[in-house]
Amino acid sequence: MGESSGQGHFARVVLALNGGPTDALVVGAAAKFAGRAKTEVVAVHVIEVDWTHDLGDVVPGSQQRASEVLDRAEAQAERTGVSLKTTLLQARDVGAAIVDEAAAIGADLVVTGLPYRTKFGGEFAMGSVVPYVLQNAPMAVLVVRSAIPGDTAGGGERHAVGRD
Amino acid sequence: MRVARPQAEYFRYAGPGIIRAKPKASAPTTQVGRAYGRVRRVLIGAPLATEQESEERLSKKKALAIMSSDAISSSAYASEEILNILVLAGAAALSLTLPIAIAISALLAVVAISYRQIGYAYPSGGGAYAVGSANLPKIFALIAAAALLIDYVMTVAVSTSSAIEQIYSAFPPLYPLRVEVSVLAVALILLGNMRGLRESGNIFALPTYIYIGSALFVVASGLLKAFVFHDVAATGYHAANVPTPSGGFEALTILLVLRAFAGGSVALTGTEAIANGVPAFQPPEPRNAARTLLMMAALLAIIFVGVTAVAVSYGILPGGTESVPALVARASVGTGPMFYVFQASAALILILASNTSFNAFPRLAAILAQDDYFPRAFAFRGDRLAFSTGIVVLAVMACVLLVAFDADTAALIPLYSVGVFVSFTISQTGMVRHWWNARGRGWPTRLVTNGIGAVLTGVVAVVVASVKFTAGAWMVVVLVPIIVATMLFIHREYAREAEELKVRDDLVFGQPHRRQRVVVPVPGMTRAVVRAIAFGRTLSPDVRAIYVTDDIEEGERLRERFSRQLPGIPLVIVESPYRQLIGPLVTYLDVMEPDPDAITIVVVPEFVVRHWWERVLHNRTAARLRQVLIGRPNTVVALVPYRKEHALTH
Repeated sequence: MGESSGQGHFARVVLALNGGPTDALVVGAAAKFAGRAKTEVVAVHVIEVDWTHDLGDVVPGSQQRASEVLDRAEAQAERTGVSLKTTLLQARDVGAAIVDEAAAIGADLVVTGLPYRTKFGGEFAMGSVVPYVLQNAPMAVLVVRSAIPGDTAGGGERHAVGRD
Repeated sequence: MRVARPQAEYFRYAGPGIIRAKPKASAPTTQVGRAYGRVRRVLIGAPLATEQESEERLSKKKALAIMSSDAISSSAYASEEILNILVLAGAAALSLTLPIAIAISALLAVVAISYRQIGYAYPSGGGAYAVGSANLPKIFALIAAAALLIDYVMTVAVSTSSAIEQIYSAFPPLYPLRVEVSVLAVALILLGNMRGLRESGNIFALPTYIYIGSALFVVASGLLKAFVFHDVAATGYHAANVPTPSGGFEALTILLVLRAFAGGSVALTGTEAIANGVPAFQPPEPRNAARTLLMMAALLAIIFVGVTAVAVSYGILPGGTESVPALVARASVGTGPMFYVFQASAALILILASNTSFNAFPRLAAILAQDDYFPRAFAFRGDRLAFSTGIVVLAVMACVLLVAFDADTAALIPLYSVGVFVSFTISQTGMVRHWWNARGRGWPTRLVTNGIGAVLTGVVAVVVASVKFTAGAWMVVVLVPIIVATMLFIHREYAREAEELKVRDDLVFGQPHRRQRVVVPVPGMTRAVVRAIAFGRTLSPDVRAIYVTDDIEEGERLRERFSRQLPGIPLVIVESPYRQLIGPLVTYLDVMEPDPDAITIVVVPEFVVRHWWERVLHNRTAARLRQVLIGRPNTVVALVPYRKEHALTH
C-alpha cells in the first residue's frame, strides 16, 4: 500500500462515493487510516448532469438522493469515531470532478470503490470512473473492489493502490 | 460545480422520512446559552448520543467489587452500631456484642440465599418493586419503592458521613469541617454521575478489593495478636473501663438487645444490589450473579464478625472522635502504613457505596416515572445518558440530611435500615407468591426459603421500626405513606390526562368543518400589527382588529388609518373608561361571539426586544394576554413576533 511522501500517513483523504454498496467498504477503509493519525477525510459524491440540463440545474430528486449518500457515509464514519467532511458536486464527468476536487483541496490519497461487474461474455468491467481516476489523479489512489459474488474467501474486499 | 447543503450542518438523513438532528441543531443560539453550554461541557462533558450507551457486561470479579461496595462497606459501621447501644448497659451487656453480630450474620445468610433465588427467578433484574409489581397488589410494590427510595437517600447520607468519619479518625483536625467535607463529597459524586460515570471502570473495583484485603488483614492480625500471641492489651470489657452514661446505666433488657440487633442490622443494607443487577453480569447471568452474591455475603459476614471480635477482645468502646473500625485497626496493626491504607480504603469504599445509590435511585425513579407513578422528568435522560433529575434530587436530599444531622452517622442510622427491611420483606413475600403460582421443579424448597426470609425480615422490619421509632425511624414510618400517596396521586393525574387526550383507534379525521375567526388586539398602527393581520388573513377571511382605549378620538383616528391602509379589516373600538386592557378584551371575546362552535384565533402582535434590559421599556401585554387566554375554550392564541431588527431594515 502506498503512503504519502514517506511521512507514514496520509494527511488528507478524499473518498469518492458512488451511492452503491462499495461506499461502506470505502468508508471502512478510510476509517483505518484516519483512526491511526490525524487524517482529514472528505467524502465526495458527484451528481452527473447530462447535456440536456444546464450544470446548475436541480435535477428533481437527485440532490436529496446525493445528500443521503453523504449522510450515510458520515453516520458510518461517526460510528467508527472518524470525523468526516462532505462535499456534493454537480459535474458533466464524475471521474474528472473527483480528480479536480481532490487536487483542489490538496488531498494525498483518493479512495474509490469498484463493484465487481462483468461485461456480457464474462470479461471484468471497470467502468469509466475508476480508470480515469487511476490514470489522472496526481495523488495516490486506493481502489476497494467488492468481493466477487459467491466468492467471499478473500474477506469481502480487495485493495489496489496506484500512483500517477 | 459545488452544491451547497445548508441542512447538512444540522440534520442528517437517517432513513426514508427520517432525519437525525446533529449536535449543532440543539446548540444554544444566544450568548448566555452558549456560555452556559460551555460551563456544562467543562463540568459534565459533551452530550452523548443514545446509541453511545455502553452495555459492558461485568465479570464476577468486577461485579463483586462494583455491586458489593454498598453491602461490604456496611461492615465499617455495623459493629459500632451494636456497641453504641450495648455500652448503655455496661460491661456485662457488651459481652453480647459478638453473639448479636453472629445472629445478624445468620440473618444475612438467610437473606442472601433468598435473594439468590430472586436472581434466578428474575434474570431481568429483581428489585423489590419489580417482584412486588409482578406478584402482589400494586400498593405493596409502591410501599417497597418508597422504602427503597428513602433507603437510597439514607445510603448516600450514611455512607458519606461514615466515610468522612474514617477520614477524620486518621486526620482529627478535619473533624470540625465534617459537614462541609461531606457535602463536597456528595457534590463530587453528583458531578461524576452527571457525567455518566462508568461504574464498570477499574477505578471502582480497586478500592473495594483494597478494603477487603486490608480489612481481612486487620481482622486476622487482631485475632492472632489477641488469641495466639495473647497481647496484653487484649483485655476485653471490664466494668472499670466502661464509662457511666450521663443518665446512669440502663438495665440489660430484651428491648436493649433488640435495639442493638436493630442497630447492627444495617450490615444487611445493600444485599439486594446483586439480585437487582443480574442483567449486568456476563452469561450465564443468574448463575454468575448467584455465586457473586454468596461470595459477597461470606466476605461481609467474615469482616463484620471479625471486626466485632477484635473490638470485643480489645475492649474497644464507641463514642470518641475515632470510629470503631479505626480503633480496631490501631489495636491490630498499630498506627503504621497499614492503618492508613485501611482507613483510606474504608473511606473510599463508603463513597463508592453511596455511588451505588446514585445508580439505583435514578433507575428506580425512572421505572416509576415510566409506570406513571413519578413525574416524567425522572425518566428523561440528560446529555450524558444519565437520569439527571433523579441524580440531582438524590444529591440534594442527601445533602439536606447531612446538614440537618450534622453529618453524624450515629444520628442518621436510626432512619436507615427500616426501608431496607420493608423492601426485603415485600420482595421475599412476592417470591413466595411467585413460587406458589409457578410451581415449577423444586418449588416447595424455594417457597419455604423465601418464606423464611420473608418472616425473618418482616420481624426485623417491625423490630427496627419500633425500637428506633423515637430515635428517628418515625420519619420513615410517616414518609413511606406520604410518598405512596403522592405516587398514587401522580398516577391518577396521568391516567386522567391520558383519558382526556385519548384518541379512539377507529376514528378517521377529515377536514375541519368548524368556522374560524381571527381577532387581532392592536395597540395602534404599527409594523407588528400589519404583520399580525397579514398572518391572520392566511387563517380565516373573518379577521377583525380590536382596539381597547379610553380615548375615543384616538380610536377614531386609528379607524380612519385602518380603513385606508388595511381595507377590509374592521376595527372594533372598545372604550375602556377605567383604562383596563386585558379584562375588556377577554370579556369582548366572551360575549360578542355569535357562533359558540367557532374557533377564535387570537393573533397577538408581539414586539421582540434585542436585549434583556429593553424588556423594562415595554409592558409585555402580549405575554399577559397569552397567560389569560391559555385554557379558554375554543380559543387558540398565536403570538406573531416582530423583531427590532426588522424595524431597522424595512
